[in-house]
Formats: sequence, structure tokens, C-alpha cells
Amino acid sequence: MTTLSDNITARPTRPYAPGNAAAPGGSATTAPPLLAVRDVRISDRVADRDIVHGVSFELTPGRTVGIVGESGSGKTLTCRAALGILPPHFEIGAGSIEIDGTDTATLTAADWTALRGATISAVFQDPASYLNPSIRVGAQIAEVVRVKKGLGRREARHRAVELLHAVHLREPELVYGQYTHELSGGMLQRVLIATAIAADPRILIADEATTALDVTVQAEILDLLADLRERAGLALVVVSHDLAVVSQLCDEVLVMRQGHVVERGPTRTVLHEPRHEYTRLLIAEHEQYGLDKFLAKEDA
Amino acid sequence: MTTEPSPRSPSGTREPSPPEDSTGTRAQRSPGDSGRLREARPTGHSPGPGTTPPPVLQVAGLRVRYGLGRRRRTALDGVSLDVARGETVGVIGETGSGKSTLARAILGLVRADAGTIAIGGEDVGGHNRRRWRALRRRGVVQYVFQDPLRSLDPDLTIEDSLTEPLLVQGVPRQEAAARARTFLDRVRLTEELLGRLPGELSGGQRQRVAVARALVTEPRLVILDEPVSALDSANRVQILEILKELRSDGVALVFISHDLGSVAGIADRIAVLHQGELVETGTARDVIQRPRHPYTRLLVSSAPTLHGAPAERAERAALRALLHV
Amino acid sequence: MVRRVLALTTGRIAVAILTLVALLAVLGPLLAPQDPLATSDTMLAAASGDHWLGTDYLGRDVFSRLLDGSRVSVLGSLEVALTALLVGAVPGILSVYLGRGFEWITLRLADTLVALPFLLFAVAVIALLGNGITQAMLVTGVLVSPLFYRVARAATLAVARSPYVEAALISGASLGWVVRRHVWVKVLPPIAVALAQTIGVGFVIVSSLTFLGIGVQPPAPTWGGLLASDLGYLSHRPWAPLTPALLIMVTVWGSNLLADAIRDVSGEAGRALVNQRRARANRPDKADPAPAGGTR
Repeated sequence: MTTLSDNITARPTRPYAPGNAAAPGGSATTAPPLLAVRDVRISDRVADRDIVHGVSFELTPGRTVGIVGESGSGKTLTCRAALGILPPHFEIGAGSIEIDGTDTATLTAADWTALRGATISAVFQDPASYLNPSIRVGAQIAEVVRVKKGLGRREARHRAVELLHAVHLREPELVYGQYTHELSGGMLQRVLIATAIAADPRILIADEATTALDVTVQAEILDLLADLRERAGLALVVVSHDLAVVSQLCDEVLVMRQGHVVERGPTRTVLHEPRHEYTRLLIAEHEQYGLDKFLAKEDA
Repeated sequence: MTTEPSPRSPSGTREPSPPEDSTGTRAQRSPGDSGRLREARPTGHSPGPGTTPPPVLQVAGLRVRYGLGRRRRTALDGVSLDVARGETVGVIGETGSGKSTLARAILGLVRADAGTIAIGGEDVGGHNRRRWRALRRRGVVQYVFQDPLRSLDPDLTIEDSLTEPLLVQGVPRQEAAARARTFLDRVRLTEELLGRLPGELSGGQRQRVAVARALVTEPRLVILDEPVSALDSANRVQILEILKELRSDGVALVFISHDLGSVAGIADRIAVLHQGELVETGTARDVIQRPRHPYTRLLVSSAPTLHGAPAERAERAALRALLHV
Repeated sequence: MVRRVLALTTGRIAVAILTLVALLAVLGPLLAPQDPLATSDTMLAAASGDHWLGTDYLGRDVFSRLLDGSRVSVLGSLEVALTALLVGAVPGILSVYLGRGFEWITLRLADTLVALPFLLFAVAVIALLGNGITQAMLVTGVLVSPLFYRVARAATLAVARSPYVEAALISGASLGWVVRRHVWVKVLPPIAVALAQTIGVGFVIVSSLTFLGIGVQPPAPTWGGLLASDLGYLSHRPWAPLTPALLIMVTVWGSNLLADAIRDVSGEAGRALVNQRRARANRPDKADPAPAGGTR
């Protein structure tokens, strides 16, 4: 536990300071992984069967791993396992998850609480249900800052406005005092991202974070995530049912189906030389029915 | 699978429009637009010169407003759109663009404040409830909803749902059942599903049942409101393939979606709705490869793609600033 | 629906209780061993071979009075429930379809009825129409009808805005068609729940009215009346109110059980519940209810 807290306090990068980003280039591959998922199997204790059959990936600062799969493929369970919030009767049957060098199997509930938000954080599909409708959104961000960073009331407020600014909300002061029903879906998702990065986590999991949004808003959120990755050296896990969403942002892609990882590799390789039939279907959908049908032609 | 989108023009009068002459941003008012759009101008009840059949759907200058007094809001303003026989038109619009209002106005579920709507040459704008019912009973226009979970009555078997539009028309039960079987086959479902309840079907199966229900009356126009948005890839492709087959039967489709990507592969023409106005109309290729209106440009650059250079973040940011979104 | 209710243990218990009560109502007066109105010298007697439940302050056989009074009590509560159903549910469904005017008027009427204190109102109406069980029950029925109005209206509203009703309308279905085919099935379960509940409430109302002497003239026995007269002689026979009170309680409980059972089995969740039980009973090995296939 001491190593963990040491790591957090000794962390050199100041987030949101431009020009201070961790280089996502070649050095990243040699850096020790922030998040290492090793052959994780998740089983349902009640039904007594495996839901996820072995998922492995490693994530280093400034890098992005994408997980693609339809609903029920086990991608969300994998994310929840990494956050230590598996639903009641699910458990990690085999394999290990290491966050910043610490095996999560050794963590107590208190350790998890300290870890979540400060080291690993997440945003999910329906932002409205993760925010309290009767509390101003700014106060909810400030609360995270006060609890996780130990800041005073005034400092926390200042920091919350800063965060709202960092997620490209145009009038952060105004948004600070608003309630959830006054904000659009895209704005709510940005508020949620601000909450998620409030305690300067090093890993951010975006689980279908853009699925319910309009396409232009989705692009904005994806741009924002890319931006945060570059500026703060955030490591991202992007989960989506849409291969195109994942391929925009990710260095490495895992394709999951019915709990199995059917394809894994660098994004470029997966897109150009898909080996599994399901990956080919995902690609074909875009090439035959999506914009790629027209855009690919232009390239040729 | 052809990669070439071949918009079959039933009139044959359409000349290929050189991209250079398309300078206007508002398709309706741009003089240098394609022949299709000129032909699409409302010509009243008399079909144009020669043997050109009237478009299946003619919408001209449609305006729909909601609410009263200070809270009055314009959902659609001056929307004109024509759909020819066997043509697939994609209507792209995001939340609040008025795309659902457009669909509901065409179906007579929302009353227009101004403008005309003609279905198969028949002006339906002044229709009262009774005349709408008579029109609907002919089964000319059908609708497919976004949410396959709620668009089928949970207490009716698949067979009951499928035969309903026919029974309403007065088709004998046996004949209706036979037709239901045929169309179940068309959407690649097996007959054993007929006795099941919607709750026992997967989302993809349910949406195919919904498509089959829209087809049993052999409509000339089907309006689809986000028909694939709630589905996963495999089911999405399957529905799109079924819809593609429909075109060769001469069924006109109005495919409404928030996502340019899901419409691109199937639409002959694309119309872009932005804040209640049609900002751009053109062939799918033109709209995607040479978008003119900044909003269309933003849509194209925002749509996630696999290959092809996605537009730079900076460009998107500039477009957003331009549009004040 | 009936079969699904009977599949539940609570449903079976409820049906058994209510059947028994109904039998009592039909056959009660015939089964009474003695004349319920005949007085005798043995007043306030304890239970014995002659008088199974003892006698009251005029020496009348309590058991006979209970049996004889059941018809009035049961019929009364049924009358309340059916009146309420008719006066409430039908306008409730129609309020969604018959336009703004009808909707506004019925809504205000329902509000007004809720605002009236019903016992007082019942007393007032009886003063006008004359004392009789039928008048009293009709008035009470009208007064509890807002429950049915609200329940039916809410259920209809939920259905009326669903896409499948719109799909039917787009296919040219008439209002009657939509109500028959889509609305009725959805509105029935909540109404059945309300009905079962109202039967229970009806018992309490009939009992309290007769307890007050409204609706039924004093010599004629009812469960509530018995309870009232027994209460006057608690010092002599402290256990006497027990039997009529128990009868009322069990019947109300039966109605509530039935209401619960109907609620449990109605709707999609209910169907899933019953199916699950059946599946578990029949094929314990087949865990996955999802249908396979459908694709060619």
C-alpha cells in the first residue's frame, strides 16, 4: 500500500499544464504498464458458468486500448473488474489485474476506495444517472475534489470550474451552478468526464461513453478524450460496440464476442488484416453501409 | 456487393450534375442543382410533362409549430422534399432537428401549420381524421419505429401483430395469415416464430418483425425512424440488406437517422435537417464527398470511420465555432 | 389470467376464501338452524349445543344471525365494487380518447368525489332517498369510483402513447379496434386489482354503515350490525364480537390476497414469473429460456 500512495504523491506530471504531456511515442512501450489485465476470467457464481473467458491487455501512460463487442460480450464486466465494482454474484475466477504494479486481489475495500478516482476512473453510457439531479453539477465535482484531494471549500470550487473548463464547456462558471436537467446529453457527459478526472486519475475507462449521443457530440467527446490523453498523459480504455469509434482513438484493439477475445492487435493490423470472421463483419458493415464506402474510394 | 451507389432515376430526365456548379448552400434554393431537385418541385396534382409519374411523396414548404404564445417553437420550417418511386432518401438530423416531427407530419400524426404534403399525388394536407383513416387503410404508407422493444404489443403473438394491418383493411383472416408468412420469410425469419410473443424474441428479430409488419400491406412508401440504431452490427447489416432488396420492388423509403454513417450505404439521396430546416439535399455521394453546408461538413467529419482520414480535430472545432453549437 | 392466478399459492388461498364467503352468502339464510329474528329467554348465553355461538341481548341465536346476515354483507360489497367499476373505469378509458372537454369534466368530477367525506355524504343521500341498503351501496360505489377512473385512465394513457398503438393507427385502425385489441388487455389487470381491493373495502363500508344503522333496518342482521350490538355487552360476553370481526377480517384479507395475486401475475413481469416457475418445475436442466434461431 505504501508503494501505491508513494506513486501517487510522487507523480511528476501536473495535469492540464500544456507542453508537459507524457510522450506517447516509442518510450511508452517500454514504460511499466499502468494497468495490466492478465488472462482474466469472470464467472457468475449463481449460474456457475464463465462469462468472460480470458482477457489480457496492458496499458501504459498516454496509450489507448479499445474493446469492441456487442452487448453481452463481456466488455463491460471486464471494465468493472478493473474498477473493482463487479455486480454481486460475479467474481474473478482466474487471472490477475494489476493497477500501477499492485495486484488488485490484495486490495481491501478501503484500498479500492483510495484507488478509484485517484488512479483509475470511469465514465459510462448514461451520464444523467450518475449525477444527482437535486445538486448543482459543480458542487458534485467540488465534492470529489474535496474528498479526494483534501482541498478547502473555496479551492475546491475554483478547481471544479477549472475542470469544467478543461472539458471544453464554454461557460464553466455558469455550468457550475446548473442542475442536470438544464444540460444536454453531451454537456452532461462532459461534466461526468470532469468528475472522473477531478482527482487526477492516470487511467480513464470510457464504457460506451458516447453511445447515446448525437454523432457530432460523440466526435466532440472523443476529441476531448484524445485531448486529455495528450495533455495529461492519461491512459484510456475505450469500450464501444462500434469498431469505428474505437479505431479513431486506440493504439490497440480487442474484439470480444461471447466472453472470448476473438481478435487482438494494433489497430492498423486489425483493420487491414482481420483474422476473425466477426471482425470482418464489423469492418464490412462500415465498408458496405457506412461512410467508408465513399471515403475509401476517394483514397484509392 | 456493389460499391457503386446507383440511384435509379425513374423519370430518366436526370442529367448528371457537375460538382462545380453546386455552389449554393441551401439545396432547395440553389439554381444550379441537379435535375432531380428541379423535377422535385411541387407541381400540384398534375404530373409533369410527358409520362413522368407523380412522386410517391411530395412535401413542400412544410412548417410545423408546437406550443402556444411565448413558448411557441418551430419544429420544422419550409421543408420541401420529394421521394420518387423506388427511391431511398436518407434524412439526417440530430436531436431537436425536427426529424421525428417530419415523419409524424407525413403520417398525419402531426398537423402542419403551413405547406403541402401529397402522397401518391393525393394532397393529404386538409384531411380530417376520417379521410386519414381511409387513406391509411389502403396501406400505402407504413412506418417502422426505432425501438423494437416497444413497437410490438407485448400481449399479441407475432402472427397477430403481423396480420393486424391486413385485418384492419378487411382482409380475411386466412389470407392475412398466409401473407404474414410470406413476409416473415422476406425478413429471413422462420414460421415457428409466429406463435411466439415479442418478449421471447431478440432485438434483431423483433425489428425484423416490425419491418415485416410494415410490408404486409405492400406499401409504396415506408418511413423508417432510426430502424437500426438500437441493434448490433450483425442485425444492423441484416436489416439494411432487407431494406436494399425492397428498393428493387419499387418501394420508396424515407430513412431517418441521426447518423450519416448508417444511411450512407443505402440512400440514393440524402437530406440534412438542421434546427428544423433542410440545409442540404443531394445524392449520397455528393453530400458525403462534397458537403457544402458547414453543418453537413461537421456531420461528415464527425461520423466515425475506419479508414479514410477522419477530419482533423481543428477542422471540427472551427466548424463548431462557425455553427455556434 | 384465471389459470395464472391459480398457479400461485396465495391466489389459491384467496379464491378458496372468497368461494367460501360466496357460498355463505348464497346458502347462509337456508343453513341458519334457527330463526335469526326469534327472541328467546336465554339472553347473552354462552356457546352451547343449542346455540353454537351463544345468544345476544334479546336471546337471538348469534350463529343464525351471522349466516343470515352474510347475504346482505356480501351483496352489499359486491354492489359497491361493481358500481364503482362501471362508473369509474369506463369514463377512465374514454377520457383518453373522447377529447379535451370530456377529459376535463370527468377529471374535475373525480376530484370532487374524492374531496367529499363519504360517510357523511352517504348519510345525507340516505336522508334524501330513504334508508335502504341498495341506495347506500350505490352512493358508496359512486364515491369510491375515482379509484377506478384513475387506474383505468393511467393504464390507458400508458398504452395510448405506445408505438404499437400508433402503428395500428397508421395502418388505419379505428378507435374501437385499438381499445379492443390493445388497450383492454392492458387495462384489465390493474382494474381487476382495484376491483378485488374495492370488494374488501366494500365489506368494511357495509359493515361500518350497518354498524351505524344506515342502510339496514335494525332487526335485520348483518355482520357489521352484529359487531355493533355485541360491543354494547362486552362486560357480559367479552369474546362475542370476535366472530363477526374475524369473518369480516378474513373476507377482506381474501380480497386483498386476490388483488395481490392478480397484480403478481399480470403484465410482462407476471408472465415471466409464472413461466419461470413452470420452467423450473418442468425442466430443471434447461436454464436458458432465450429462443434460438429464427435466422435461416
